[in-house]
Amino acid sequence: MIDWQTIFIAFFGVASVWFGVGVFRTASMMRSALALLFSQTALGAMFLAMQAEFLGVLQIMMMATEMSIMAIFMVMFMMDPGGLGEMDMTHQKRLSILAGVAAALVTAGVAVVAEWGAIAAAAPAAAAQTEALGRELLGRSMLVFETAGVTILTAMIAATAVAVPAPQRDRRS
Amino acid sequence: MSPELLLALLTGAALFGVGLYGALSQTNLVMIMMGVELILAGALVNLVAFWRFLHPESYPGQMFVLIVMTVMAVEMAVGFGVAIARFRARGSVEMEEARELKG
Repeated sequence: MIDWQTIFIAFFGVASVWFGVGVFRTASMMRSALALLFSQTALGAMFLAMQAEFLGVLQIMMMATEMSIMAIFMVMFMMDPGGLGEMDMTHQKRLSILAGVAAALVTAGVAVVAEWGAIAAAAPAAAAQTEALGRELLGRSMLVFETAGVTILTAMIAATAVAVPAPQRDRRS
Repeated sequence: MSPELLLALLTGAALFGVGLYGALSQTNLVMIMMGVELILAGALVNLVAFWRFLHPESYPGQMFVLIVMTVMAVEMAVGFGVAIARFRARGSVEMEEARELKG
């Protein structure tokens, strides 16, 4: 018998893929950014349906911020952000479709054919999960967690260094 | 196999395919980054599904999800840094015109 969890996972999964396809189907860059935001939010809702409450909320919050920034950059950098000129900004389309479909089919084939082992009936409660993840982060996985933090800091400094204009040489000196 | 796990893995496969199509077909740097985001989203859904349906008592699975989210943030930060440098140097982030990543 199909239960509510299955229905919600299927619904949000289809929504995520639907909006993911929508990212590349619209000429408007603003709509592309919003479609990606909805796709990632549907994925966050799917995590909630899979009882990963902390990760679901984190995904939704993080992607809402990230996609808002992306939308601003789209308007700043695109030659035709509204898509009014119907510019074609694609290349090697047939090869890309072939690669995308082949990759999806092979991955789906592995998902269907592989023997995944015993299925766990229930997940721990949300509070117990968050506590256990916190203990994992500050216990056995602390080095990995700290490395991730330092990596983000390095990326922020590197991105700023790349983006800041090079100082002009003073020709008088 | 549980239908929930299969649905989640098929969603991951579809997102991976759509993202790969986007990353290969788009000429604009920001759109290419959107494709990469979808590829990483496909990985995320697989990781959460494996944690929930195979090993819900094992928290390194959730830790792995946090690492992939970090990779997404790093990719965005560095990508936008490169986009700003490129836009400042050439007035465009069209990758068709970019033969080198020299500013």
